[in-house]
Amino acid sequence: MILKNLILDSGNYYTLDLNTNKKRFWDPNRSKICAGLKRGFNFLPITEDSKVLYLGSAEGYTISYLSDLADSGVVIGVDISPISTQKFYLLCKERSNLVPILASADLPESYKHLIDFKVDVIIQDVAQKNQVEILKKNSDLFLRDGGFVVLSLKTTAISQGKTQNIINNEIDKFSKYFTIIEKKRLDPFEKKHILIVGKKK
Amino acid sequence: MDINKEKYFKEAQEKIKHELNTTDQKIILYSLIIEKLPKNINELFEQLRIITDLKYPTLDQYLTIEEYCKYVLDGSLENTDKQKELEKIAFEEISITFDEKEKELVNLFAKNILDLIYLKNQFEEEISILLKKQFPNLYLIATPKIAAKMLQISGSIKRLAKMPSSTIQLLGSEKSFFKALKLNKNTPKYGVLYNHELLFDLNKKNKAKMARTIANKISIAVKADLNNNNISKELYEKILKKKEEIINLQKK
Repeated sequence: MILKNLILDSGNYYTLDLNTNKKRFWDPNRSKICAGLKRGFNFLPITEDSKVLYLGSAEGYTISYLSDLADSGVVIGVDISPISTQKFYLLCKERSNLVPILASADLPESYKHLIDFKVDVIIQDVAQKNQVEILKKNSDLFLRDGGFVVLSLKTTAISQGKTQNIINNEIDKFSKYFTIIEKKRLDPFEKKHILIVGKKK
Repeated sequence: MDINKEKYFKEAQEKIKHELNTTDQKIILYSLIIEKLPKNINELFEQLRIITDLKYPTLDQYLTIEEYCKYVLDGSLENTDKQKELEKIAFEEISITFDEKEKELVNLFAKNILDLIYLKNQFEEEISILLKKQFPNLYLIATPKIAAKMLQISGSIKRLAKMPSSTIQLLGSEKSFFKALKLNKNTPKYGVLYNHELLFDLNKKNKAKMARTIANKISIAVKADLNNNNISKELYEKILKKKEEIINLQKK
């Protein structure tokens, strides 16, 4: 995995800022993608010119780093909360390749008219009971053939049972629609989370 | 890749403005604002009493916080019954008198507390006006304070309308509910509904029955509110009828 703007320096990850070209520290405690990188992911399916759809962008911490990585592409953030989107909106004004959508990720039909092209990667970071279904609905509408998906699964959002059983169940559902490339628990950074990278069948 | 960002910005602007300007969101914000005010007022009142106890010892046993602050400010009360009662107590024999500076400080403090109480009352009034205008069924059946609390927990009126009545009954008791599920023990019987005015004179077992009845009717009321139907009086009569039945059973 070689990315122009991703820098590994003494165990910590940094990105080169899109606007100022300075090194920016990426905190694994605040971002699940960075936590995945720290846990030793070999493959992050983002290139310099990829089009990324990020579900659950919130105030835009993680997505601002993704916009550094895909600096000649487009990164679209979807979130349901108007108050979080206020902050994210201002971030999008600063960054040329970042785009806001205020909608529920569970209803992709409601923002279908805004995305009139196919994206390369969908990243799902919405902690909901039907996480895999949300990813599936969005990938049917927006993902190109052979595109990649990244799912950050929060097991406590699904049920209060044993973590390993929930993960097994969800992976069964996930592998119906996607082939799994890599999966890792995020344990020191996020408890009871798993990050899965897959490819569209 | 070039992309026309303007259309995204325009749509996001419109949606943010639309979603932040709804009545239920405003009720939720107001109820968040006044949630911790009573606690703050009580704490400030305790600090005020550090000084005023020198001049008016044991006065707080006779008056509420609002009356106490007014008494400290004016030296007398509008309510004559209480005024007469207070005149019997011989404060002067066991207290000191304030000098000019002390008077000024105490008056400033008491005025601040009165302002906070006024602010809280104003917000509560605004909440009940908004509820009565927009959601008349919910206003009558759940009473303003509980309705605002339920909206705050559920997030919006639409989400509250989608909830089954068993969930509405337990709104506010999430912590003990999930704890009971984990330990396989008895689940709670009521959440914020516990403070409802129709519940307080019943015994423990019948409180649960009444909470279930009210939750059923709230679930109907919210759905009617979204359809601009005013059926509040019929629902309220049904609740009262059910309460009579429960009380009759209690007597036997």
